[in-house]
Amino acid sequence: MNSFAVDLTNCEREPIHILGHIQSHGYLVAIQSDTYTIVHVSANIAELVGIPPTQLLGQSVKTLLTDTDLPVSNLIELLNVGCRNDSWDTMNPNRVTLNGKVWNLIIHQYLGLILLEWEPIGDDRNLLINQQLIAQSLTEVQSSRTLTDLLQNTAQRVKTIIGFDRVMVYRFGADWHGQVVAEAKDDELEPYLGLHYPASDIPRQARELYKVNLVRLIADATSTPSRILSELGWPENRPLDLTHSVLRAVSPVHIEYLKNMGVQASMSISLLYRGELWGLMSCHNTTPRFVDYPARQAAKFVSQLLSAALEFRKDQEDKTNLLQYTQKGQQLHEQLILSDDVVRALVKSTVTVLDVTEATGAALLFNDKVYRLGKTPDEAAIRGLAEWVHMTDPETFLETNQLPNLYPPAEAFRDVASGLLAIELSRELTEYVFWFKPEKIQEVTWAGNPDKPVTVTTDGQQRINPRTSFAAWTQIVRNTSSPWHEVEIGAVVKLREDILQVVTRQANEIRLLNQRLQVAYEELDAFSYTVSHDLRTPLSSIRCYSEILLEEYGQDLNPDAQALFQKIIDSTDRMRSLIRHILYYSRMGRTDLSTQVVDMKQLLEGIREEILVTTKGRSIQIDIGDTPPITADPTMALQLFTNLIGNAAKYTRLAANAVIRINGRQTDDEVIYAIDDNGIGFDMKQAGKMFDLFKRLENSREFEGSGVGLAIVKRIINRHQGKIWFHSEPDRGTTFSVSFPLPTHS
Amino acid sequence: MVDVLYVEDNPNDADIFGRLMRKLNRPFTYTVLESGSEAVDYLTGQGRYKHQPQSLPKLVLLDLNLNGLSGVEVVQQARSIDRTRFVPIVAFSTSDSPRDILSAYEAGVNAYVVKPGSYQATGSVIGKLCDFWLENNTRTDYK
Repeated sequence: MNSFAVDLTNCEREPIHILGHIQSHGYLVAIQSDTYTIVHVSANIAELVGIPPTQLLGQSVKTLLTDTDLPVSNLIELLNVGCRNDSWDTMNPNRVTLNGKVWNLIIHQYLGLILLEWEPIGDDRNLLINQQLIAQSLTEVQSSRTLTDLLQNTAQRVKTIIGFDRVMVYRFGADWHGQVVAEAKDDELEPYLGLHYPASDIPRQARELYKVNLVRLIADATSTPSRILSELGWPENRPLDLTHSVLRAVSPVHIEYLKNMGVQASMSISLLYRGELWGLMSCHNTTPRFVDYPARQAAKFVSQLLSAALEFRKDQEDKTNLLQYTQKGQQLHEQLILSDDVVRALVKSTVTVLDVTEATGAALLFNDKVYRLGKTPDEAAIRGLAEWVHMTDPETFLETNQLPNLYPPAEAFRDVASGLLAIELSRELTEYVFWFKPEKIQEVTWAGNPDKPVTVTTDGQQRINPRTSFAAWTQIVRNTSSPWHEVEIGAVVKLREDILQVVTRQANEIRLLNQRLQVAYEELDAFSYTVSHDLRTPLSSIRCYSEILLEEYGQDLNPDAQALFQKIIDSTDRMRSLIRHILYYSRMGRTDLSTQVVDMKQLLEGIREEILVTTKGRSIQIDIGDTPPITADPTMALQLFTNLIGNAAKYTRLAANAVIRINGRQTDDEVIYAIDDNGIGFDMKQAGKMFDLFKRLENSREFEGSGVGLAIVKRIINRHQGKIWFHSEPDRGTTFSVSFPLPTHS
Repeated sequence: MVDVLYVEDNPNDADIFGRLMRKLNRPFTYTVLESGSEAVDYLTGQGRYKHQPQSLPKLVLLDLNLNGLSGVEVVQQARSIDRTRFVPIVAFSTSDSPRDILSAYEAGVNAYVVKPGSYQATGSVIGKLCDFWLENNTRTDYK
């Protein structure tokens, strides 16, 4: 690792870009952009130009070369061209020879100053090798080698370019802790592949710096850095900013860290993707080693190729997954549209919600029911979780790969659900879809103990000592699942839209139906009223005047005429009862149920009384057996049994001895009453229209009736979520059975 | 003063009522009015009854389904003024709909009778009504 700073607040604030030193293998001069006046020099500058710093500060840059064999005009020309084009990178490195020694001069401009840095040159023979290596990198990136190979080969290439004994590819996790994902090293070294490092190894401001200055070299950790001196009167609060410097010295803490690891030279190269740091090439050497500018550039280039390739592949991988999830999501959408049944479409079809993510379990909470797929917590746990999700109010979705850390009760089922991805269908109804990922017992190998011991220095300030050992130890990461990827989240967010579309459409359809029903009911009400009133009134008149005629003029009428009047009167009777029944039938569907426990013995005996009165002169026997109570609307129950027993009495008229038996029994979930008679019976083949309004069976023609009685019975049964069934044979009697559900104690 | 004020806009029903009252062969007097608004005027001494105020009947028999001012509105108006607040009003209607029955009672009727729809039964009901309201009932103006 390069530049291990310490993860304490004071350390997060350590101004690592203005430490005021450079590494002593090179020399630095900073001049004003406009006047070329020297404002800063490194203390070791005399080694290069033979003039002490004090005689240079405040002077023109021309002073710098007075004791060398290099014509000042060359340098000035170089500076002028750079300033004119405002581009230094293309010129770097500038090969300059001073007093017989060749240097690479690297120039950059920053914050109104031009920084000139001289550093040694390397072996020119390497240039060609490096170009070959870059070419290989390109070829490899374009071929579809596995990612592991690509990482490994890149590490090996960088190792060849810079000649260090260890090169690691180091990748950041979401929490900025890092892992060594590839390594090229000399055989005798202990492998670091797979090691994890805490985020504190590379604090935030270091990461920011690495995004700007992509390559850092520490050529000799044992050397003493050279101080940067400034001209007299230079404001102390404006030290030279070394953000883009190639010679920047690193923090002494980090140097100590390297020493403890037995490393004397280190180099790191930032791996960026879309402007974000995703990893580092981290290189170590056990002895001091300088890497010249062109080699560093070559290594940087190879690393950037890797960076691009890696992300390109990640994109490809995402695209493949996305394509798969999109297809599955599309199928789910089609299922939703086709079936109109959300539950069937999501959890009971070929493709289920489980197919749109990597999850190993899923649950749908809909209409107060829980549907589970794959490996999930049990229903009670899911309901509890839903309550918690409800409280957090995710609005659209919620995702975590550390559920138990957010919701402690989840520790009980972390094995199947350390990861949760949830979409909200309805907050009011607590309706969600959950996806679960199992706990990934991650064997994390940290570089030492991430809970670094805090030692108190003599001045009482808390400081962390850099860890002095790389002996890895393992920590089990609990309560964590593999993360949810963007494509998974994308897929479920899209799915949520699809579900809501269908649900909303259904809700609207129901609303529309309700409105139409409301209108229909109002019309029916008006109709009922009209029937009840306007139809009955003239009927009453017909009836009354017929009676008056019979009463007052009856003696003047012959028997035939009298019989005709009687027919008129009978007809009005029938019509009246028909009207009453229709009204009752329509009212049955509308009035609210007020259910209570009905005393069936009393109810049935009352009906028996009434029927025995109206069937005087017949031989009729009504036996009442067991009478378990039912839970029903008492008025409707009375109507229902009156109709059924009345029918039994009616259709036994022709029997010499009519026998009607009524018996009730209770099962686990309902009460069943059977009404059994020895009447004319009917053909079961015709029985389909038994409950239709105004439908009467063929053999009942002899019997008076409106054809509404059983329709009312059926409607009452429906209103009570009960059942009605029957068995009959012509001339062998009939049995009607009705069942009322027992009240649920929910 | 009349014993019974019958408010009924159906001429047949009014006619049949008259026949039945005569048939009772009792010394009861009655007046039939054809509309709710006239009934209100009659009871409150307004409109055409302003200069010939009537004393209150012993029973108001009120059809509810009237054109114009409905029976329920007649009751509401009668109950809203002191003079007629306690006059006995019996709703006499074809409707047996629970809603109609409830709104009649809410407006303040003393009783609700569904028209039986036959001559015999209507005769018997009218007989009972007269017996009770004209002979057994004690009104607020009891001296």
